[in-house]
Amino acid sequence: MGRLSPLELWPEVAPEWILNLPQWLEDIFYKFYKCIIFDDRYTLYFTGLRNTLILTFLALLLGIALGVVVALIRVTWDKNGAEMRGVPKVVVGFLNSVSKLYLTVIRGTPVVVQLLILYFVIFAASRNKILVGALSFGINSGAYVAEIIRSGIMSIDSGQMEAGRSLGFGYVATMRHIILPQAFKNVLPTLANEFIVLLKETAVAGYVSLQDVTYAGNIIGGNAYDYLFPLLIAAAIYLILVLFFTFLVGKLERRLRNSER
Amino acid sequence: MSDRDIIIKVEDLKKYYNGGAIKALDGVSLEVKRGEVIVIIGPSGSGKSTFLRSLNLLETPTSGRILFDGSDITRKGININQYRQKMGMVFQHFNLFPHMTVMGNMTLAPIKLLKKTKAEAEEKAMELLERVNLAERANAYPSQLSGGQKQRIAIVRALCMEPEVMLFDEPTSALDPEMVGEVLDVMKILATGGMTMAVVTHEMGFAREVGDRVIFMDGGTIIEEGSPAEMFDSPKSDRLQSFLSKVL
Repeated sequence: MGRLSPLELWPEVAPEWILNLPQWLEDIFYKFYKCIIFDDRYTLYFTGLRNTLILTFLALLLGIALGVVVALIRVTWDKNGAEMRGVPKVVVGFLNSVSKLYLTVIRGTPVVVQLLILYFVIFAASRNKILVGALSFGINSGAYVAEIIRSGIMSIDSGQMEAGRSLGFGYVATMRHIILPQAFKNVLPTLANEFIVLLKETAVAGYVSLQDVTYAGNIIGGNAYDYLFPLLIAAAIYLILVLFFTFLVGKLERRLRNSER
Repeated sequence: MSDRDIIIKVEDLKKYYNGGAIKALDGVSLEVKRGEVIVIIGPSGSGKSTFLRSLNLLETPTSGRILFDGSDITRKGININQYRQKMGMVFQHFNLFPHMTVMGNMTLAPIKLLKKTKAEAEEKAMELLERVNLAERANAYPSQLSGGQKQRIAIVRALCMEPEVMLFDEPTSALDPEMVGEVLDVMKILATGGMTMAVVTHEMGFAREVGDRVIFMDGGTIIEEGSPAEMFDSPKSDRLQSFLSKVL
């Protein structure tokens, strides 16, 4: 016995009162059934949601880590490079050149192409889509985060660094305890925007068949021969995630703003 | 005078910019005794701030030596952070940390650098705050303070590190006139208490009253130095005479 189609199953699973509704209303319920309940299709959205969240979260961590490091290298070189001598000058100068190359290449090419290169060329041996995806989106996001954080650091008055150094803090300790906390606070809205962009950008992960939210909507739409509901649901999931994230950032921002006013 | 009494010794300090095109400091030598209050005056661009900032190496000298308590802090490979802990600095623009409370500003360095416990650091900070009558502002943020309050906090923040020398870089220049007095009062108390101080200022009244020695700088060099009475009542050089005639 072949599997029954949703249309064949519909009269059996639908409650009496739905079948008695006007045709156009019944159609909506039927589509809902076809795109969500039939064949346990809702599980695909959950898998997609889980994968999108893991992907975004890992990429976020990597992006911030990379971004802070690259921003620090660039700022250190721009502000102190001229006064450096010997080995530190060579090391920081080299790291600065690498950072600039990284920024140029990553910001100058589409993230989809970067993802495809990473997945099909560099990590062709790996089938771990989530990790390769997170690496790809993290490396991409890091370039933007780096420039955001760099602008934050540059906006801090040079007197802050001098005050920290005059108390006896080293360069790194002053950055960590005094400059970076202020820089982060200043760029938080811009960073939040970058994270929202990142979350939505992971939608192209389907290019390497990573089963994220978009992929789920796409697959279900294809199976059901009806794209409206699946794609609307995918869109709604992104929207809710973005709204929730915006809310969290707003809360954090208000807490950090305590010191002003 | 034995060498033990000299806490800072500066030998032929030079600071050039643009490969010598600009000579901010052009051979400055000076000895500061323990407990002495040195006041540095001079027109703007005379190099007095550059000189003060060189003492804790916020400016890297082009040549010359600075001996702090007998050790050459300009030699290569020295851990300057360790010496900066012993030289408190107060800036024209206060440079309080805006993301921290007054208490946070004052305890950060003692906790991280002197490895004090939070309680110890706060006790010391509170004691100092009481001395400058700002104990009730301990939990305020810098943006909630007046200029005079900010500068008093900046002074006690430096004192929390228990420095041997205090450097003041035009501490009252950014203040409204009515707030200058409260900051100078704190500095006077410090001077009376025996703190070694180097003060760059335009407050001639303060220089005369509190200074043990007045240094007049112009064009990156020391033109004249002496006791406040000598300097203000019988200036020898033309440049000091003309400077004083403009500021007094």
